[in-house]
Amino acid sequence: MDPSARLTGPGASGIGLRSPHLAEVLATRPAIGWLEVHAENYMGGGPAIRGLEAIRRDYPVSIHGVGLSLGTAGGLSAAHLERLAALVDRIQPMLVSEHLSWSVTGGVYLNHLLPLPYTEEALGVMCAHVARVQDRLGRRLLVENPSSYARFEHSPIPEAEFLNEVALRSGCGLLCDVNNVYVSCRNLGGNPAEYLERVDPAAVGEIHLAGHAVNEADGLPILIDDHGSRVTEAVWRLYARGLARFGPVPTLVEWDTDIPPLAVLLEEAATAGAMLQDAGENRAHAA
Amino acid sequence: MPTLRELQTGFGAAVLGDDESVAAALVRGDGLSASARLGVYRHHIFMSLTAALESTYPVVARLVDPRFFRYAAHEYIRDNPPAGPCLFEYGATLPEFLERFEPSRHLAYLPDVARLEWAMNVALNAPEATPIDPDALRSQGAVALHPSVTLLTSPWPVDALWRANQPNAPEPAVDLQAGDVRLRVWRVGDEVVFRALSTAGFAFHDTLARTHHLADAADAALSADPAADLAELLREMLDAEVLV
Repeated sequence: MDPSARLTGPGASGIGLRSPHLAEVLATRPAIGWLEVHAENYMGGGPAIRGLEAIRRDYPVSIHGVGLSLGTAGGLSAAHLERLAALVDRIQPMLVSEHLSWSVTGGVYLNHLLPLPYTEEALGVMCAHVARVQDRLGRRLLVENPSSYARFEHSPIPEAEFLNEVALRSGCGLLCDVNNVYVSCRNLGGNPAEYLERVDPAAVGEIHLAGHAVNEADGLPILIDDHGSRVTEAVWRLYARGLARFGPVPTLVEWDTDIPPLAVLLEEAATAGAMLQDAGENRAHAA
Repeated sequence: MPTLRELQTGFGAAVLGDDESVAAALVRGDGLSASARLGVYRHHIFMSLTAALESTYPVVARLVDPRFFRYAAHEYIRDNPPAGPCLFEYGATLPEFLERFEPSRHLAYLPDVARLEWAMNVALNAPEATPIDPDALRSQGAVALHPSVTLLTSPWPVDALWRANQPNAPEPAVDLQAGDVRLRVWRVGDEVVFRALSTAGFAFHDTLARTHHLADAADAALSADPAADLAELLREMLDAEVLV
């Protein structure tokens, strides 16, 4: 196979596009399958959205929302949903995703993907909001598992089952962030491989990969999902398990803190791309 | 067992302020305490919002000590958290906050430098608009300023202060007694720029922004300075593509 064909198209691996790399991507047009952006950075006018439109002419683009606050008890912001719909309409992305989390309380936006208690009440809120977003966008949403540093005393439904149920009831897909699975399991107790075994493979439409940091809190280690380094060996191994279970799902490498040269990000994406390709071939042989 | 709304209200109070009384009782401690776990979230929220403010206000951050900026940002964020998720829209009220913020009151020009940086941020993210065709000017009923335009006045030379505090600027030598400035901040293509206006020029822009009528703007410019060259004023605005 032509090696350059490895890394093209939405079935290949992609990178999270951050503003320091925008000009370089436009100038050099690297061989990458697709690019994902945070929706909220492109809701104004000016060079940001114009740059994204230029990228979109050459690459599939995925829109990843961080601000809808799907898990907020007080309801979705209709104005923000309209802005997302306008962006989706303008960019015509290959995928649209958001998070299993909340950020808004009492009209304040807390700028973090905060944890939900996994209860029937929260399930009802999530499903209603996902349905409303999908109705407005006229397309399927993918919902991502968060990285967590705390869980609630009353949270009777395991996270993977909660996600499966959101997908089943609302018809949405899942974005499985393998690094988040690892970080959450290490921080809260739990086995990352078993977590992946519980996720409904038919619902998974995208995988995220990123690096994390190991910090200390009260003298104990805590993993921080800072997207500030290469994907760790443990997360690569978990990704291989995920691919074996979910099949060759579009995979994205994210980097948000201490953003490295574009080449480093492309190397990480190439590693994921090679694993994706192997997963696709294994599946073809098995069929 | 609290409702989801109660849980989120309590969590918000814990991570934004210091009132952990509700949230700490709801979070499971195992290994790490509930308070330490809430602290991870609080730390991220303040750090990320501080970074957002620093990216909108780099010159303000440079004019004060970096630690001072983080302290001021912390106080600002706690009392003025974002109302929405687009962080390029966060921080509009920092200039007014700085006006009231006792520890930096001795830097009297700081709030106006912040106003200039906010105007530049607005210009960067403003919607597109098609500049007026000079030939169509006569037949045009109403004329507006481009949505990226902000008009700014200050008793301090904030334009010079801004230029002197760019990353590659030579050693700053700003005459703080240089007198009033009147600035037009706007976007040209992908670039945000500003320009000093004369008193007549400022009156022309300011009136046009409010009335959308060239005749009113011309009257205001001539009242400010009877010797104003209206043709030159208009030509500059057309060249700068600030009329839509």
